[in-house]
Amino acid sequence: MNSLIRRRPFFVGSSLFLLFLVAASWARVFAQDTGGPGLLSTEAWRRAGDFMADLAGASESGSPAFAQWDAWRDALRLAGDTMVMSVLAAGMAAAGALATVAFASSNLAGRGWVGGRLLVAVVRAVYVLTRAVPELVWALIVVFILTPGILAGAVALAIHNFGVLGRLGAEIVEDIDEAPIASLKSSGAGRVQLLFYGVLPQVLPQFVTFLLYRWEVIVRTSVVVGLVAVAGLGYELRLDLAFFRYTDVALLLIVYVLLVWATDLVSIALRRLAR
Amino acid sequence: MAPNETGLQLRWSVLYGASRGLPVSAFGGVGEPNATRFKAIGLPGARAQLTLVLVIAFIWSVVALDVPGGLVHSGGIDALGEITSAFFTPDLSTDLLGTVIGDAWTTLAFAVAGMTLAIAVGVPLGVLASGVLQTGGLQRLGVMAGARSLLALFRSIHEIVWAVLFVAAFGLSPAAGVLAIGVPYAGILGRILAERLQDAPQEPLDALRTSGASETEVLFYGRVPSAAADVVSYAFYRLECAVRAAAVLSFVGLGGLGLRITTALDDLAFERMWTAVFALVLIVVGIDLWSALVRRRLLR
Repeated sequence: MNSLIRRRPFFVGSSLFLLFLVAASWARVFAQDTGGPGLLSTEAWRRAGDFMADLAGASESGSPAFAQWDAWRDALRLAGDTMVMSVLAAGMAAAGALATVAFASSNLAGRGWVGGRLLVAVVRAVYVLTRAVPELVWALIVVFILTPGILAGAVALAIHNFGVLGRLGAEIVEDIDEAPIASLKSSGAGRVQLLFYGVLPQVLPQFVTFLLYRWEVIVRTSVVVGLVAVAGLGYELRLDLAFFRYTDVALLLIVYVLLVWATDLVSIALRRLAR
Repeated sequence: MAPNETGLQLRWSVLYGASRGLPVSAFGGVGEPNATRFKAIGLPGARAQLTLVLVIAFIWSVVALDVPGGLVHSGGIDALGEITSAFFTPDLSTDLLGTVIGDAWTTLAFAVAGMTLAIAVGVPLGVLASGVLQTGGLQRLGVMAGARSLLALFRSIHEIVWAVLFVAAFGLSPAAGVLAIGVPYAGILGRILAERLQDAPQEPLDALRTSGASETEVLFYGRVPSAAADVVSYAFYRLECAVRAAAVLSFVGLGGLGLRITTALDDLAFERMWTAVFALVLIVVGIDLWSALVRRRLLR
C-alpha cells in the first residue's frame, strides 16, 4: 500500500481519466438513437421475453427443429464446415507468424545495423495493423478478392490471428535464453542453423500452447465470420433469423455451444501433450 | 501459481497464461528449469505426437476444403490491387476526418460501457466462483458450481452472436450493443478473476489469518493485491477486444467505425475504408500503451 501512495499522481490521473471516460461513454450510449426501443424501456424487455418463447417453439406449429433428426444432421454438417474453417485458419496464421517472427524480434533481427531495427519496426507494424482489425471486417474485405466460402472465412480469420500470434511469438522469442545460441555461434553455426537449433526448440512448445488457445477463440469466431463469408453455422444462423425460423436458431445455438465446449476439451487434452 | 513478476512491460504471454491450463511459469521463465526448456530438439514422445496431430489436422482441413466456384473472383486480382494502393493513399480530407473521429468516439463509448457492465457483473460472479469467501460445505460447492456454469455459458457464445440475438430480442436498441459486449466479457473476466484469486500464494494469506483476519479481509488484503496486476492487464486487453467488437457491432445498427467501413466498402471507396481502419488501429495502440503504463506501475 505504501508503494501505491508513492506512485499516486499516475494512479489518480489514470483513475480520473477512467471515471470521465466511463461517464462520457454511458452518456453517449444513452444518447444513441437507433430507431428502436430505448435502453431500459419495458417494450424492449417484453420483446426479449417473446423472443425467448419463440426460441422454445411458442410461435411454430409442428415439432420444433431441435426435436427433428434431419435438422440435427444438417446442423452437424455445418458444424463440420465451421471446424474445417477454424483449423485451416489456425494453420495459416501459425505458418505466417512462424515465418515472420524472427524478423519481429529485437534480439534476433534488430541488433546492430539500422536496417534490422527498421525491419523489426515494419513487421511489428504489420502485426498491429492485422490484429487491430476484427475478423469480420477482414472477411468483408476478403470477399472482394476470394469467392465467398470456407476459404474466404479462413483467410479472414487467419489475417487477424497472424497479428495476434506474431506478437505473442515475438515476445516469446525475446524472452529466450541466449546461452545455447551463443554456444552454437561459437561452434560456427550459421544464421539458419541458429534459428533451427537454437531458437525454435525453445520457442515452439509455448507457441503451440498459444496456438491451441487461439484455436478455441477461432472456433468461436468462425461462426461470426461465416455470417459474411457465406459458410458454416454462421450463414445458416443469419438465414434462419431472417426467415423467423426460431427453433432452427435455437438448434444452431445448441450445436454452436456444443462445438465450442468440444473444442475446449480437445484443446486442453492437446495442451497437456505440449507440456 | 504466483503472478508473474518479471515482465515489467505488458506481456501478452502473461495475459494469455492467466487462464488455467497454460503453464504460466513457463512464459516468463519463472520456476522453469532450463533443462526442460532445451530438450525439445529431439521432440520427445508427447511433443512428437502433438506435432503429428496438428499437421494431420491441418492437412485434413485442406483436403476437406471444397471449392466449387474457384478460389478467386473474376475481378478479385484487380480488387486486391485497388485495396493495396488505397492503403498508401487513405482519404485524409477534413470532412471525412471529422466524421471518422465522431465514429471512433461512438465505437469507444460502446466498448467502455460494455466493459463497465462486464466488470459490474463479472467481478461479483468471479468472487463467488472462486469460493474464497465461504468456508467448506455443500453450500460453498453449490455456489461455486452455479457461478462457474453461468460464467461458462456467458463466454461460450461469441459477442457478435450475442449481438445478433439481442437485436432479434430487443430490436435495434443501444441495450443490445452494451449487453452483447458486457455478457460474454463478464464471463471471461469472472473466470480469470476466480482463477487469480484462488492461485494467490498461500503463505501471506496464512499470515493474515493467524493475525486474526476474516476471510473477507484476507480477500482484500491478501488475494486482491496479488491478483491485481494480471487482472487489470487482462481487463485492459479485453477493453481492446471490446473496441474491436464495438466496431463490428455497428453492423447491427449502432453506427461507429464499422458502419463507416461497410458504407465505404459498399461504394468501393477503399481510401475511406482505410481511414476508418487506421482510426481503429490508433485506438487499439492507445489502449495498449495505457495498459503497459498501468501494469508497469502495479508491478513495481
